[in-house]
Amino acid sequence: MIRIAAVGDLHYGAGSQDILRPSLQHLPDRADILLLAGDLTRCGGPEEVRVLADQVRGLPIPVVAVLGNHDYHADREDDVRRVLEGAGVKVLEGDAVALDVDGVRVGIAGTKGFGGGFRGAHGSDFGEPEMKAFVGHTKMLSDRLEQALEELEADLRIALLHYSPIEATLEGERLEIYPFLGSYLMAEAVDNAGADLLLHGHAHHGVEKGRTPAGIPVRNVAQPVIRHAYNVYTLNAHRQVLPAAAGGIS
Amino acid sequence: MTEKRPDYLPEHIRETLIHDPRVAEQDLRVEVKEHRVMLGGNVATPQLRQTITEVASELLPGYEIVNETTVVPAAEPDGEEPVS
Repeated sequence: MIRIAAVGDLHYGAGSQDILRPSLQHLPDRADILLLAGDLTRCGGPEEVRVLADQVRGLPIPVVAVLGNHDYHADREDDVRRVLEGAGVKVLEGDAVALDVDGVRVGIAGTKGFGGGFRGAHGSDFGEPEMKAFVGHTKMLSDRLEQALEELEADLRIALLHYSPIEATLEGERLEIYPFLGSYLMAEAVDNAGADLLLHGHAHHGVEKGRTPAGIPVRNVAQPVIRHAYNVYTLNAHRQVLPAAAGGIS
Repeated sequence: MTEKRPDYLPEHIRETLIHDPRVAEQDLRVEVKEHRVMLGGNVATPQLRQTITEVASELLPGYEIVNETTVVPAAEPDGEEPVS
């Protein structure tokens, strides 16, 4: 059994720097891997994420992260990434990592993801260049996520996102902002490639639990949703959800 | 701040709270009645809650700021969830 600790939307910045720290002491006893689902900073400043980096540096379990929209705000996402990587955190964007946990190969593919909306009401890359860029960005990230998952050779596979891949975990959010909270394209990518668990953050007023159309468990680990320092999910290595049989357009 | 039409004032306050780096919160509710500003939503820490009041007061010095935001708990989880 593999234990995955996960949390997103920690928003480290002045006055909010101790969300995780009090819990880190016991974390290695409770989890095998810590996953961070983006929005690690308030305004995307490297100095903001340095506090988090210093807190997780030296943890005896692997830490894997994706960035979120807040982490891009200062246009210094590369610096944010470098600070985290300097503390031993693996930061994913359209790629994957495989970790050996007690002989079980745990693969994690990650991307920030992006918006667009959900089935029946998704934006199209049609019209103005700004609209093409918006939806095109989501398509590009979804394609990379699918490829990263497909290439991942592992006993367990986890997709780590910031934006939401499904509507179900947005319940409680205002409908008007759904297109800015996520995109079904990321769920489709994960359903195509297959995974055991899909984690995301970003939707502070949503709910924790949902499933993709193919049945893969989805958990919204935004800190204001789980209302703990992190949540722990356990996975057995031999019950992977396989890609759904192709029945439509291929 | 330039005097705003009352219909649009809550949105201007919300935008300020998003863009002020001391706050940078996108999920706050803002209502204005007469000269009273009511703020709601979740915040991570008591310090941030206090800062939100200060930033709103700076923006609208003549208004009463009623900060009804709540601090989200962040203790260790009680257990774990088997998902497969």
